[in-house]
Amino acid sequence: MSPNLFFLLASVIFSIGLVGLVSRRNLFIIYMSIELMLSSVNLILATFSRVLGNADGSVIALLIMAVIAAEAALFLAMIVHLYRSRKTIDSDQYNALSQEKNYA
Amino acid sequence: MLETSILELLVFSVLALFMIGGSIAVITNKQTIFSAFGFLLVMIALAGMFALLQSQFLALAQIMISVGAVVVLSMLTILTVNLKEENLPKEKNRYKWMIVATLLVLPITYLLYRSMDEAYIYFVDIDKVSSQVVGKLLFSDWVLPFEIVSILLLTAMLGAIVIARKDDTEQKGRT
Amino acid sequence: MLSLIVLLPFLSALFMGCVYLFSNIKRKNSFYTFFGVGTPLLVTIFSFMVGKEFISGSEMIHESLFQWVNIGGFQVEIAFMADALSVVMISFITFIGTLIHLYASGYMKEDDGYGKFFSYFNLFMGSMLLLVLADNPIMMFIGWELVGLSSYLLIGFYHQDSSNITAANKAFILNRVGDFAFISGISLLFVTLEGSAFTYLSIAENISSIDSQLLSVIGLLLFIGAMGKSAQIPLYVWLPDAMAGPTPVSALIHAATMVTAGVYMVARYSFLYVEIPDIGVFIASIGAASALFAALIASYQNDIKKILAYSTMSQLGYMFIAVGLGFYSSGIFHVFTHAFFKALLFMGAGAVIVALHHEQNIFKMGQLKERLPFVYITMFIATLAISGIAPFAGFFSKDAILVATFASEHYVIWAIGSFTVFLTAFYMFRLFFSVFHARESEQKELKELPNSMTKPLLVLAIGSTFAGFLGVNEAYGGSAILNSFLSLPDKTLQINHSVEYTLSFVNTLLAFVGIFYAYKKFARDKKIIDEENLFNKLLVNKFYIDELYQYFIVKPLLFLSSCIVNIIDPKIFDGVFHLNVWSYKKAALVFAKLQTGNVRHYSLYILLSVSMLSLYMLYNFGWL
Repeated sequence: MSPNLFFLLASVIFSIGLVGLVSRRNLFIIYMSIELMLSSVNLILATFSRVLGNADGSVIALLIMAVIAAEAALFLAMIVHLYRSRKTIDSDQYNALSQEKNYA
Repeated sequence: MLETSILELLVFSVLALFMIGGSIAVITNKQTIFSAFGFLLVMIALAGMFALLQSQFLALAQIMISVGAVVVLSMLTILTVNLKEENLPKEKNRYKWMIVATLLVLPITYLLYRSMDEAYIYFVDIDKVSSQVVGKLLFSDWVLPFEIVSILLLTAMLGAIVIARKDDTEQKGRT
Repeated sequence: MLSLIVLLPFLSALFMGCVYLFSNIKRKNSFYTFFGVGTPLLVTIFSFMVGKEFISGSEMIHESLFQWVNIGGFQVEIAFMADALSVVMISFITFIGTLIHLYASGYMKEDDGYGKFFSYFNLFMGSMLLLVLADNPIMMFIGWELVGLSSYLLIGFYHQDSSNITAANKAFILNRVGDFAFISGISLLFVTLEGSAFTYLSIAENISSIDSQLLSVIGLLLFIGAMGKSAQIPLYVWLPDAMAGPTPVSALIHAATMVTAGVYMVARYSFLYVEIPDIGVFIASIGAASALFAALIASYQNDIKKILAYSTMSQLGYMFIAVGLGFYSSGIFHVFTHAFFKALLFMGAGAVIVALHHEQNIFKMGQLKERLPFVYITMFIATLAISGIAPFAGFFSKDAILVATFASEHYVIWAIGSFTVFLTAFYMFRLFFSVFHARESEQKELKELPNSMTKPLLVLAIGSTFAGFLGVNEAYGGSAILNSFLSLPDKTLQINHSVEYTLSFVNTLLAFVGIFYAYKKFARDKKIIDEENLFNKLLVNKFYIDELYQYFIVKPLLFLSSCIVNIIDPKIFDGVFHLNVWSYKKAALVFAKLQTGNVRHYSLYILLSVSMLSLYMLYNFGWL
């Protein structure tokens, strides 16, 4: 077992998250893709903690997890708000700033 | 250089498989709740990974926070919104987009992996990173980020309440 | 003293102009008359005083005011120089000028722009004096231009009628064409003479250092300027149209003074023209051609002032024959005598016009012999003078020119000159007889002529009679006082007195034949020219030269201008800018389509850029 395996896994998870972010319209799935990307970073940090031999990496990962929690709260609150006002969770419907709508 | 045992490798591959399978489930499902299940699987497998890396406290924290708070909260929200199948966004072209995105993402992944791969590093033998170790660090070296994160959490809480509350004015027929 | 002579008219012009423009009350005419006629009178007295100094022996007066331009090798001083030539010029300019100013105070009595008129008139006087008294070519050119300006202002004086404005424009533009050549000549002269100061004296000293071909070019360019100013072929078409101005203007500017500036210029540059005799022959040929041409046209004109205008052009031709062939003093002598009788002719014509309530067609006048006796006698003297009948002034000067031409073996020019003597006598007496002798059926009521219009005629008549005696040459017993006084580099010629007498006899005979012919045709009944004959038609329409110019020069120029205004300027120059703006707009619209408002698309853009970047980094790291 070498750290490279963990790195490979983390990169793959990151890219899967990235793909999901770009290609899906459902707001929840966009949120979950973002979480995936953050988690991959956590994995890398934990790996480095083991490589370097001290617990610094773990502490950072812990703090990041706190941030993840905060972000989850806000993101989901926003989805609720948006759903309440527009009755849709399709991100393509929120295009009020487009060129054609404003300057056509 | 530590000797790697077959057991470790086996556990690693199983967990890795779960993670990858779960994440693919997250991004490819049409129904939201199925993606949420995949997400749950990923988080649990991730907790297992942390334990494999001798970060016991982190694995616990992952279960508590990520699974217990984040996943639960998102599932709660999904079920509260409770869109019928016909109201879900009609993503006809999602596979096409995914293929294009995959092609674009490949160089990034490769770059990431290779840049981390260059360093000649290996695992060392460490004690389990237990809560004592983390606690000690958290209050000595890392106290400032700790305090800042706590403020962040407070702000996030307030923010979430403000954003999501029901305004009386909002109810009056606005699209 | 010299600076006063030049400055006083300018100052009085400025003063009168300011009073006319800015005073609220309308001044009486006497105010303007006081300054307008008083200043030339004062200047005349000064000029005579300067002349007296010269007669008692001084050679040259030089008065320098201040340094105007001092840039490296180019230095121009504001300075005045008076030598014998200038003194002769200023004496008759100021003297005849004063008389005409006096005449004008009567002629323009009822005009509203009386003050403006005298302001312009004094401006003209100052400019002409500046031209003559200048020390260097640059100052003379300033005077040259100012004279052209005054001429423009005065021709267009009756500005309510737009044809007068057109005539003024024509005069100025043709003058300008000549000035272009003139200033090219001066610049060329300056460039070849670099290093020395640029006054007449220094140019005269260094003239031999210039290569002869270049000198010919300079002489030719300067003469083209004179062509425009003195109305020779081909730049003469403005002179007949300039008769649209008031008669005193025609008398002073277009007869006695401004148009002789060209002759003066050639005489002033005599040190240059003696080196290039071929150009001189060219000048003389142009003069001869103009003389003949103008005389032919004048024989068929109806308007009294136009006849006199063409006669001016014709006499100027004589002057150019003289200075072209190297007989500078004879040319200046003819300028001198011509000023007297031409001014008299114009003033008399003005008197007739005013008396008949502004009638200008000679075939509508007649039998004024008894009704305007004073004008009759003075005009008679002037007409005799211009026809070259002895002992009046024109005889001696014209004779001197023609004898000199014959003696220098330019027989063709002599023949043309002699034929023109016949024509001159013919058309002048045609005018005279038609106005004063011929029978006119209806007798119009005459207007009373003021004294200020009749008294100057008397003085000029005396001048026309006696001025000729200043230049009588040895054949007739005189000693050519004027010629020796002028001390210009004349060509000397040896000619037998008998030949001279023969030639004068021939000229006088030709003049009498002309008078007799005119008498036969016009003294009793006036014959209106019939226009069916092609030759007549050509001449009555002035050889259609104006129309030719209009068609070949003016029209293409206007076409070019309209082309540029309508096509080149908006479409090409503006078009480039419009194209620029349009392309920016179009490009902007294309780029604006990228902004769809959809966040997913924006994240795709980011992904795209990061992907490209990572590809590039991979390539650079060599991991690809």
